[in-house]
Amino acid sequence: MSTHQNANFKMGEREMILITGFFAIIAILTYMFPSLAETNSAGQIDWITMPLVGFPIIASGVLMAFASMASRRRKHNIEVPIKLASLFFSLFMLAITTSLFFGILESINWDFSIFNSYELEFSYAWNTTLGVNWHVGMDALSFSMVWLTTLLLPIVMITTWEEKAGWYHHPLILMMGGALIGVFVSLDLFMFYVFWELTLIPMFFLILKWGGSERRYAAQKFFIYTFTASVIMLLGIITLYFLNDGSFDITELTRSSQAASDRGDVWLGAKMQNALFLMFLLGFLVKLPAVPFHTWLPDAHVQAPTSGSMLLAGVMLKMGGYGLFRFCVSMFPDALVNFQWLLLTIGLVSLVYGSLVCLGQNNLKKMVAYSSVSHMGVITLGIATMEPLGFTAAIFMMFAHGIISPMLFAVCGSFKHHYHTLEIGAMRGLARHSPFLGVFMMFSWMASLGLPLLAGFVAEIAVLIAFWKAFGWWVLLPGLTLVITAAYYLWSMQKTIFEGGLEGELPESLQGESPVDISRWEGSGMMIMALLIVLFGILPWIVFDMMSGYSLAVFTGILGFGGV
Amino acid sequence: MMSAIDYALLIPILPIVAFPVILFIGQMFNGMPSWRNAWKEGGTIAVVVLGVVLGLSLSLISGYIGAVSGWDASNASGEVSAHSATEANDDAVSANVGEYDSWINFHITDGDNLISESFGFGIYLDHASVMLLFVASFLCLMIGIFSLGYMNTDEINLDRNHRFYAEFLLFSAGMFGMVLADDFLWLFIFWEIMGLCSYLLIGFYYDKPSAAYAAKKAFLTTRVGDVFLFIGLLMMWNLFNSLEFATVWSDAAIAQVVADGNQGQLHLALGMMFIGAVGKSAQFPLHVWLPDAMEGPTPVSALIHAATMVNAGLYLVVRMIPFFANDQLAGDLSTLALTIAWIGGFTAVFAALIAFVQKDIKKVLAYSTMSQLAYIFTGLGAAAWLLNNGHTTAGLFAFGASLFHLFNHAMAKGMLFMASGSVIHEMHHAHHKINHSHGDHDDGHHEEDHFDAQDMTNMGGLAGKMPITATAMAVGSMSIIGIPLIGGFWSKEGIIASTWKAALTDGGFLLIGPALLLLIGAGMTGFYMSRMWFMTFAGKAKTPVADEVVEETPFIPIPLVILTFMTLGAIILASMHFIGWASEGFGHFSLDIVSGLVHELKHAFLPGGDDSVSSILFLVTMLTIFLSMILGPFTAMALYGGRLDAYKAKPWLQWLINLSHKVNRRSHFDNTAWAESSLAEALDKRLYIDDFYDNICEKWIVVPFANICAWFDRRVIDGAVKGIEYGSQETSTYIRSLTTGSARDYIMMAVLGIFAIFLLIWGVA
Amino acid sequence: MIDPAYAIGLGAILFTIGLWGAFTNKNAIIVLMCAELILNAVNINFIAAAAQYGDVTGWVYAVIAIAIAAAEVAIGLAIFLSLYSQRETINLDEVRLLKN
Repeated sequence: MSTHQNANFKMGEREMILITGFFAIIAILTYMFPSLAETNSAGQIDWITMPLVGFPIIASGVLMAFASMASRRRKHNIEVPIKLASLFFSLFMLAITTSLFFGILESINWDFSIFNSYELEFSYAWNTTLGVNWHVGMDALSFSMVWLTTLLLPIVMITTWEEKAGWYHHPLILMMGGALIGVFVSLDLFMFYVFWELTLIPMFFLILKWGGSERRYAAQKFFIYTFTASVIMLLGIITLYFLNDGSFDITELTRSSQAASDRGDVWLGAKMQNALFLMFLLGFLVKLPAVPFHTWLPDAHVQAPTSGSMLLAGVMLKMGGYGLFRFCVSMFPDALVNFQWLLLTIGLVSLVYGSLVCLGQNNLKKMVAYSSVSHMGVITLGIATMEPLGFTAAIFMMFAHGIISPMLFAVCGSFKHHYHTLEIGAMRGLARHSPFLGVFMMFSWMASLGLPLLAGFVAEIAVLIAFWKAFGWWVLLPGLTLVITAAYYLWSMQKTIFEGGLEGELPESLQGESPVDISRWEGSGMMIMALLIVLFGILPWIVFDMMSGYSLAVFTGILGFGGV
Repeated sequence: MMSAIDYALLIPILPIVAFPVILFIGQMFNGMPSWRNAWKEGGTIAVVVLGVVLGLSLSLISGYIGAVSGWDASNASGEVSAHSATEANDDAVSANVGEYDSWINFHITDGDNLISESFGFGIYLDHASVMLLFVASFLCLMIGIFSLGYMNTDEINLDRNHRFYAEFLLFSAGMFGMVLADDFLWLFIFWEIMGLCSYLLIGFYYDKPSAAYAAKKAFLTTRVGDVFLFIGLLMMWNLFNSLEFATVWSDAAIAQVVADGNQGQLHLALGMMFIGAVGKSAQFPLHVWLPDAMEGPTPVSALIHAATMVNAGLYLVVRMIPFFANDQLAGDLSTLALTIAWIGGFTAVFAALIAFVQKDIKKVLAYSTMSQLAYIFTGLGAAAWLLNNGHTTAGLFAFGASLFHLFNHAMAKGMLFMASGSVIHEMHHAHHKINHSHGDHDDGHHEEDHFDAQDMTNMGGLAGKMPITATAMAVGSMSIIGIPLIGGFWSKEGIIASTWKAALTDGGFLLIGPALLLLIGAGMTGFYMSRMWFMTFAGKAKTPVADEVVEETPFIPIPLVILTFMTLGAIILASMHFIGWASEGFGHFSLDIVSGLVHELKHAFLPGGDDSVSSILFLVTMLTIFLSMILGPFTAMALYGGRLDAYKAKPWLQWLINLSHKVNRRSHFDNTAWAESSLAEALDKRLYIDDFYDNICEKWIVVPFANICAWFDRRVIDGAVKGIEYGSQETSTYIRSLTTGSARDYIMMAVLGIFAIFLLIWGVA
Repeated sequence: MIDPAYAIGLGAILFTIGLWGAFTNKNAIIVLMCAELILNAVNINFIAAAAQYGDVTGWVYAVIAIAIAAAEVAIGLAIFLSLYSQRETINLDEVRLLKN
C-alpha cells in the first residue's frame, strides 16, 4: 500500500493511478491507432486523433504510471522531468492548433463555415454492431474551444508549477486537456458521452487530492451532480439512437434534422423533439451552470486547487455552451424556437441573480465562482436572442471567459496560498504587501467586469446589441447587471487591495508571518493570461470573424434564412 | 493632402504604449537615484510623450484648418468629406479622416433579411474635436510639467510616482482617443478607459480609506450613467445600423428614421445617452463622485476637472447636437433640449450653493466645476432647443458660446487647480519646516494628523508670499466669474444671453427657469470664487504655518505662468470670432482684432443679432455683469477681505487687497447667523444627497437585497440540493439498520425473500 | 419404484428440519450442518424430479450440488477455524462483523 495517505480520504496514490490509468487504457484501446500519414477525402492529415486526443491521455497515463512506480524519495527526483514532459506535450498541442488556425497546417479558412460540415473529418469504424465510430472533426465552434483548451493547458501548468506532488498533478492536467478536446472534436454521440464523463475523472482527483479542507464533499457533489445530469442526457442519446436506426453519428443526425426542416416537417415529431431538447438541455445547463442548477460550482471552486479551478472555469463550463450549440441549437431547431422563453428566463435569472449573489458573498473565490454563473448567463441569453450576432456573442463569451476566469482563479489561488484565507475584508492594503498580486487582481477584476479593450467587453456589446434587437427594453436587466458586477468587484477590491494605512493590515490567518508576493511561476502565468486578454480585447477579430462565420452558417442552416 | 492625419492615430497610441513601459521600468528601477532624479520616476518620459503628442495635435489641427479652408476651393476632393457639426449649415465643415481596419464584423437579422454589419475605427475631425484635442493635449502637457514639481518633491509619493505617470498617460490617451474617434462606439470605449483611469488615480493613495471609497464611488456613479449611455447606443444602432457620426448624422439616415416614424425612439436614445453625459460631467443627480474625487493628488484633480474626464460628457452632448440641428427632426427633440437646459440650470445653482460653505480649497473648486459645467450644459440645451426649433443663427451662437466656455473653463480650471496645488504643497512644506524647527519629531507627527493643508481657514495672507500663484489664481477666478474682457466673460455672457434669448423666443418659455437660474448662478459664482481667493490670499495669516509659506518648488510656476497668459489671451480668440468659428465654420474667422472685439462685444450682449428682444437681453447682460462683478465679489470682500500683515503683494494684486480691506472695514456685514443656520449645515453635508445614496446602496436596498439573494441561494437552492443529499443519507441509514450482522437474520431474510417470490409468482399465476 | 411423491415429501421434511435448525441454533457448525441438510433436500427433489420425468438432467445437477456442497463445507469449516482462532468462539450471536 502507498504510504502517502490522507487523513480524510483513504484512497492511496496507487489506486488513483490504477483508476485513471484504467480509463486511459480504455481510451487508448477504444480508439485504434490511426496512422498520421493517412488522409481524408479533403486531403487533410488527421491532426486530431493522436496529437490532440490520444497522445495527451496516453502520455499522462504513462507518466503517472512511471511516477507511481518510483519510490517516495525518487519521486522528488523525477518531479521536474515529469512536469517538463507534460508542459512539452501541452506546448506541442498548442503548436498544432495554432498552426492549424493560422493555416500553416492544412491552410483551412476558419472564417468561412458551412452548416454541419467539418474540417479534418476522420471516421474509423470501432464497433460496427453498435454502430459506433471513432468519428472526429472540427468546425469553427469546436476549433475555437480546442484552441482555447490548448492555450490554457501550458498556462495552467506554468501557473501551478509549484503545486505539491507535481508528478501526478501535471499529467492529470494533460489528461484533462485530452479529454476536453475529445469532447469538442467527437462527432459521434457515443464517443462524445465517453469523453464527457472522462473529463470528470481527472477533475475529481484534482479536487480530491489537492483541494481544500472540505474537498471530499465538494468532489463528491461535483461528480454526482454533473453525473446525474449527464445520465439524463444519456437517456436522450439512447432515445436518439433508437429513433434513428441505430446511429450515433452527429453529422448524420443533424443532416436528417435539417432535411426534415427543409421538407417543412418537425424532425422526430414535435413532442419527441421537445423532450429530447429538454433532456440535452438539462445536461448542458448543469454543466454551464445555469441557475437553479449551479450550486455545485461554488463548492467545487472553493475547494478545488488553483489548477482545478482554472480548468473548471476556463474550459469545463464551456462544454455546456458547446453542447447547447452542437445539439440544442443545431439538431433541435424547432424545440429551440419553442423553448426560447425558457432560455431567455434562465439566462436572465442567471445573469441578474448570479451577480446579486456575488454581492452578498464574503469569500473571494465564491464570489468569483458566482460571477462565472452570471457570465455564463450571457451564453444562454446569446442563444435565446436567435440572432447570428447573439450566437457569435455567446461563443466569444465562451472564449473570453475562458481566458479571463482562469486568471481570476489564479489570483484567488495565489491569494489563498500566500495569505491562507479567502475572506474579503480579512486584510487591507494588498497593494502594499504584494504589489504584483494586487496589480493582477485589479487587472483581472477589471477584465471580468467588462472594461473596454479587454476581451470580455466585445462579448458584452455583441450580446447586448443582439439582445436589444430581440427583446428591446428587457435590456435594462443586463444593464443593471453591469452596474452590480462593477459594484461587487470594486467592493471586494476596496476591502482587499486598498485601505489599511501605511502599514496595511494582515489577516489573522497569517499568524504574524510576513506576507510574500506571487512567485515567478504564478506571475508568468498571470502575465501570459493578461496579455491574451488584452490581445483579444484590442484585436477581437482574430477569433471573432471565425465565430461570426460559424454563427451565420448555423443560423441560416437551422432557420432556413437566405444568405447575406 | 493632410499629412499630419497619417500620424493622428499616434496621438492616442503613444501614451497607451508608454503606460505599460513606465509601469514596468518603474517597477524595475524603483529607488535608484538616477531614476528618481533624472527620470523623475517616469515623469520625464511622460512629459516627453505629452510634448510629442501636443506637437502631433498641433500639426493635425493646422492640417485640418488648412484642409478645411482648402475645402471650399477644391470642393470635396473625396479625401475630405463634408459632415458638419450642424448639418443644417453648409459653412460647417469637417474632415472624416480615413477608416482603419474594421474591428468586428457580424451578421444580424433586419426584418426578414440578414445583413452584414461591422464596427470599425476611424478618426473624425471637426471644429469641436479639434478644439477639444487642443485643450486636452495642451493641458495634459501643462499638468505633466506641474506634476514634475508637485509629485516628485513630496516624500509620500516617493517610489510610486511611476504609477502616477503611467496612469496619467493612459488617462490622457483615453481623452485623445475619445475626441478623435469617428463613431459612438469608440467614443464609449475611450470614455470607459477614462473611467478606469479616474478610478486608479483617485485611488492613488490606496492606503487611505477615504481615497478607496472615493475611487469606488467615482467608478460606480459614472458606471450607472455609462450603462444608460450604452443602452442609448444600442437604440441608436438599432435605428441606423451604424454608430458612425458620418452615417448617423447624414440626412439620408435621418430621413429613413423619420419615414419609419421612429423619432420617438431617437429622442429616447439621445435621452439615454444624455444620462451618460450627466454621470461623466457630474451633473445632478449623478454629481456625487466629483467632490470626493479630490482624494486624488492635485494634478489628478486638474486632469479630471480641466483636461479630460468632465469634458467627455460635454463632448458627448456636442456630438448629439447635429440631430437637433437637422431640419427633418425639427421640433421632435425639444423635450430633451429642455431637460438638458433644466438639469444644467439646476446644477449651476445647486453646486454654487454648496460651494458657499466649503472650507477645503479643492472642494470649492470642485463645486465650481460642477456649476460651470452646468452653464455649458444649459448653453448646449438652449442651443439644442433653438436649433431644433428652427432658430439656426441664435442656436449656432449658443452652441459656439458653449464650446468657447468649455475652452475657457478648461484653461482657467486647470490653472486654478494647479495654483491650489501649489498652495497646498507649500503649506505642507511650511508645516514640515515648522515641525522640524519646533519641538521633537514625535509631536510633529502627532500634529500632522490634525493639520489640514487644504483648509482655507488655515491660510490667509498668502498673496505676498506666493505672487505667481496668487496672480494665476486671481486671473483664473476672474475668468470663471466672468469679469469683463477676461476669458470666461465672453463665453459666459454668450451662454446666459442665448438662454434668455431662447426663453424669450416663441414657445421657449419653459427655458425661463434655467435662464433665471443661470443669472442667479452668475452672482453666486462671483461670491464663492472671490471668497476662495480672499480667504486664501488676503488678510492676515491665520496659522503660523501660513506665515512660513514660500513659493520655491521647481516646475510648478511654469504652467501657471503659461496658463495665465492663455486665459488672458482668450480675448484674442474672442476677437477672432471663436464662437462663430466653433459653431458655424471657418468663414467668420477674422484677423481684424479691434473691430472683431467690438463686434463680439455687441454680440455678447445681443446674440444672434435679432433686435426684437434686444432691450431685455441688454438688461440681462448688464444684470449679469452687475451680479458677477459687483455683488458677488464685494460681498466676499466684505466678509473675508483684509490687508496683508508684513509682506507686500505685487502691485497688480495689491490694489485688490487694499480694496478688499476697505470694503471689509466699512461694511458691518455679519454672517454668523447664516453660518450657524441649519441651511449652512445642510449645505455642508451636501444637502444629504450623498448620504441618501449611501443609504440606498448599503443600508436600505441594494446590499440587503444582495444578502437576501445570497441567503436564498445558500438556504433554498443549495438547501434543496442538500435536502436531497440528506434525505438519501437518512434513508440509507434507515435501510442499513436491517443489516444486523447476525447470520441467522440473513437466513431469515433469505427465506422471507423466497416466500415473497413464491407469493408473487402465485399471485401472477 | 418408490413414488416420487414420497421422495419429495422426504425432501420437504429434510428442508424443514434444516431450516428450523438454522434458525434456532447458535453454534456455527450446527448451522452449517443444517445448511447441508437443506442442500440434500434439494438434491432429493432433483432426483425425484429426474425419476418422474425420466430425464438425466436432474441427476447431473444433484452431482454438481454435492460437489459444491463439499467445497462449501470445506470453506465454511476453514472460516470457522479462523474465526475460532481469532475470537475463541463460534457462537453466531457473538460474531457480527457485517453489522451496518
